[in-house]
Amino acid sequence: MAVFISRRLIFLVFVMFGVSFIIFGLQMTFSPERRAMVFVTTPQQAKDIPVLIKKYGFDQPFYKQYFTWLKEVTSGHLGYSLVASDSVWRAFWRYFPITLELNIFSSPCIILFGIWLGTKAGQKANTFTDHFTRIFSIVGWSLPTFLFSLVMLMIFYGYFRLFPPSVLGDELTLLVYGNTGEFVRYTGMFTVDGILNGRLDVTFEALKHLVMPVLTQMVVICAILMRVMRSGMLEEMGKDYVITARAKGVDKKTTILKHARRNALIPVITVAGQLVAALMEGSIAVEIIFNRKGLGWWLAESAMQLDMPVLMSLCLFIAIVFVLANLTVDIIYAYVDPRIRLS
Amino acid sequence: MSALIEIKDLVTNFYTYEGVVKALNKISLEVESGLTFGLVGESGCGKSVLVRSIMRIVQSPGVIEGGEVKFHMKKNGKDEVIELLSLSEEEMRQIRGSEISMIFQEPNAALNPILSIGYQVSESFLFHISEQMCAKVLEDLESPRDNTNFIWKSFLRYAYRVGSKDAKALPLRIFNKIPILKCWDKRLKEEATRRSIEIIDKLHVPHPEQVVKSYPHNLSGGMKQRIVIAIALACNPELLIADEATSNLDVTVQAQILELLNELKKEYISSIMLITHDLGVVAETCERVGVMYAGNLCEVADVREIFKNPKHPYTKALLNSVPRFSTEGRLAVIDGFVPNLVNPPSGCRFHPRCPLTMEQCKQNVPDLKETGDRHLVACYAVD
Ligand SMILES: Nc1ncnc2c1ncn2[C@@H]1O[C@H](COP(=O)(O)OP(=O)(O)O)[C@@H](O)[C@H]1O
Ligand SMILES: [Mg+2]
Repeated sequence: MAVFISRRLIFLVFVMFGVSFIIFGLQMTFSPERRAMVFVTTPQQAKDIPVLIKKYGFDQPFYKQYFTWLKEVTSGHLGYSLVASDSVWRAFWRYFPITLELNIFSSPCIILFGIWLGTKAGQKANTFTDHFTRIFSIVGWSLPTFLFSLVMLMIFYGYFRLFPPSVLGDELTLLVYGNTGEFVRYTGMFTVDGILNGRLDVTFEALKHLVMPVLTQMVVICAILMRVMRSGMLEEMGKDYVITARAKGVDKKTTILKHARRNALIPVITVAGQLVAALMEGSIAVEIIFNRKGLGWWLAESAMQLDMPVLMSLCLFIAIVFVLANLTVDIIYAYVDPRIRLS
Repeated sequence: MSALIEIKDLVTNFYTYEGVVKALNKISLEVESGLTFGLVGESGCGKSVLVRSIMRIVQSPGVIEGGEVKFHMKKNGKDEVIELLSLSEEEMRQIRGSEISMIFQEPNAALNPILSIGYQVSESFLFHISEQMCAKVLEDLESPRDNTNFIWKSFLRYAYRVGSKDAKALPLRIFNKIPILKCWDKRLKEEATRRSIEIIDKLHVPHPEQVVKSYPHNLSGGMKQRIVIAIALACNPELLIADEATSNLDVTVQAQILELLNELKKEYISSIMLITHDLGVVAETCERVGVMYAGNLCEVADVREIFKNPKHPYTKALLNSVPRFSTEGRLAVIDGFVPNLVNPPSGCRFHPRCPLTMEQCKQNVPDLKETGDRHLVACYAVD
């Protein structure tokens, strides 16, 4: 087990190396002038472009620039984010908790709801439940996220005034970001910080702002999980071991939950792992429409402004997340399926 | 000899996209207790569907449409007749595995790949004789050698006293939902595992203590089949149905398993229903034989009688298609095709391939008729 994990972590280093190499190579396709433009904010500065190119070494050969970057990163300097007007490292820890918080709430909902719905639908094909869940999942899957988010906003905020967008209301935003010492941002996730600071109103407010993005992600994303679960369940229910179980007098509930569902869950684990990993880099549409400035929003803004240090760092982050997600999936696999040995 | 199972006009259909598969076409059959009954027929003729219908475990989209299945159960020395098709699902569940059990063709597929052997065998006990096992655990708890702490022991005593009367009583179901109290059944499970080891040992599986901790992929095909048999035999059923239980095993393993079944029959089970397409196996192990064709039963007779004096044209053809040392020349092949069960031939389903077809055969389905010496045939050409 320890050997397995350490091998994967060594593998991670190579993945990060490869990913950064490719991304760096891609940005090299822009001309030095185009890349220097990023630093230009006033008309006068436009004249200084050749100076900027010299200063940042944009005209040097690829390998030199890449090594300069690599040296910086390995010594801990990720660079400066223009979008965030802060160092990439500090900005990351400001945006990441926002995304993480949303995922902590939405991932379990997505996974549990998807599995539950898929089990229901797959127990017996072509029943009412089956048709209903299938329609639900097709609609959910084919709705563009941005459209669904807008509709949700319109109904629940615009019409019912129930669940507002953004992370917190104005007053509390002032409180939590004010540096009066009244509120300490321990984790950056306000549901947790609210409890730690003894301000349950903050927690409650944060939860209220989470309802809609969580619901949106649930409807849009759980469709795929549900479908994998449903087809797995249908397949397993037709297997011989289910007949064996029934023939020895096991009741229906145990047959479904203990025998068929555990087998059907195996492919679901992979899909769920990929989904959670993908959510970690932030769901861009959800974060922009619900005005939650998390990783997805930051990534989108930085990409539009060609904020290279941010893009490079986030790519490394995504590589880490995916390798760790796969590692977790493999460990869970080995736990669920005795045929698989970690080695 | 007394009857064990009486089947009358059993009809089972499968509702598929291609149409309704009429897999059983009014089957009537009587199986006597104490015998090994062989059921033969080409694959696809409905043997598995027949026995699954008896146990009411036909998989969707199959539906048992009608007929009756009377089962003679010996309860406290008394003979009790039960109509299986009219039982509730829960009553039927109690019969499965304890009165009638089944072993399967594919030992690799018949065991759940991700559950331990011990658990899979234990289930047989846990779903049928929990009360009895609770009583046993209660007895152990009372013994002075047991040194569980007092509070926990009182709790366990209560739980097992309730359990020995009704293992699904309300208090126990409540305990099952509460985190710490949930462990009340640990000793019950241990008792079930102990019994599993015992029964696996009886089936000549080496190192049963280790086998219960292993998983299906750790065992060989023959071992897996023994485990499947152990599961079926756990509660001493009246009738064991072996659905092609040896067809997919090596010849030597096949012989071992058949021998084992014979041996077990003497000790534990009163009757066996052996499904096979291997007439050699039938000749060796069965006392009475039924021949099926396309969802119909053609002929039922004692084994010697059927080999010496087959009457139904299909049985004759079937026997002729088996290679023998004594005869020379071409192996006989039955002309024509196995009929499609969505649109089966009218009347006797064998008539398009039968050499003795008469006008009557095309319109009516012949009933099974007694033609002397416990020999039943369903054919208009036989009298
Ligand atoms: N799950 C199913 N769906 C549709 N048809 C089925 C199904 N199971 C069995 N049948 C039909 O029932 C008939 C009998 O099958 P079966 O009893 O398995 O044959 P065998 O005699 O080889 O055991 C077959 O012709 C098959 O087409
Ligand atoms: Mg079969």
